[in-house]
Amino acid sequence: MRNWLRPALAGVAFAMLGVGAFLGLSWAPPDREMGDVQRIMYAHVPAVWMALLAVTLNFVSSIAYLFKNTWKMDALAEASAEVGVLFGAVGVSLGAIWARPTWGVWWTWDPRLTTAAIMLVSYAGYLALRRFVEDPERRAVWSAVVAIISYVDVPIIWYSVKWWKSLHQVQSSEKTVDPQMVFALRWNAFALLGFLIFFIWSRYRIALREREREVALPDVLPSGQAGRVETSGAVR
Amino acid sequence: MTSAWLLVLAQQASDVSSRVGSGRIQGGWEYVWVSYAITWGALILYTIFLWRRRPEATTGQPE
Repeated sequence: MRNWLRPALAGVAFAMLGVGAFLGLSWAPPDREMGDVQRIMYAHVPAVWMALLAVTLNFVSSIAYLFKNTWKMDALAEASAEVGVLFGAVGVSLGAIWARPTWGVWWTWDPRLTTAAIMLVSYAGYLALRRFVEDPERRAVWSAVVAIISYVDVPIIWYSVKWWKSLHQVQSSEKTVDPQMVFALRWNAFALLGFLIFFIWSRYRIALREREREVALPDVLPSGQAGRVETSGAVR
Repeated sequence: MTSAWLLVLAQQASDVSSRVGSGRIQGGWEYVWVSYAITWGALILYTIFLWRRRPEATTGQPE
């Protein structure tokens, strides 16, 4: 892959984020009820969307690892989980900040907030598990299983505002939101999508290099994996 | 009397209209700035973290 592509992607993402900040902070109109405080939406909602996308990728790559048994899928699962926790932490933090002036509290055990917190804790546990298990093969299998179990929470997060009475508002649609708000939200979402791709791509390379180093050491070579590791230590 | 009363109502309606126009919750910009600062800070710090750990930078380092 061309070396300039990732830095270029990061540059485009930062530029789009700058424009997105202008759109969200100045160009979009204030909300009829929440006034200017509603401008937090342009950072909060895309961050949560990216977290959900990242953990979905983690889920898919974990299943793919269990079927295909390749280190690339394990590395992708690790990368997407870490990036998902980052975006999830930002999204939940911003939600708490937004809750203070609108609901009067920083936190409440509302279904949407509770399920989002469960997601953060489960994927933080997933990352902790990966650090504690030294054998790469066991680590990959165990973490893939934990990833699949953790993902059960994700559809519950999405539908929690519809299934239960929630303080959190339901998903907005184009019919209920001002077009300027929709445009600013979409722009910021694409900016964060650029960051999501850049982060997962970069983190994947780091994780794959770590796997290469691990499987190159004979004492931690996974059983039955020897045929997949070339003499140079390259990972398939 | 009636015209004065109507004038008061009209004034109140105008006040309400102007308040709704900029939202019922007034101010709160400090929450907005902190939110954007957290977002930008997280993105910049994680970019730096990834840059420092990139494979090219760690090649040749002891295990």
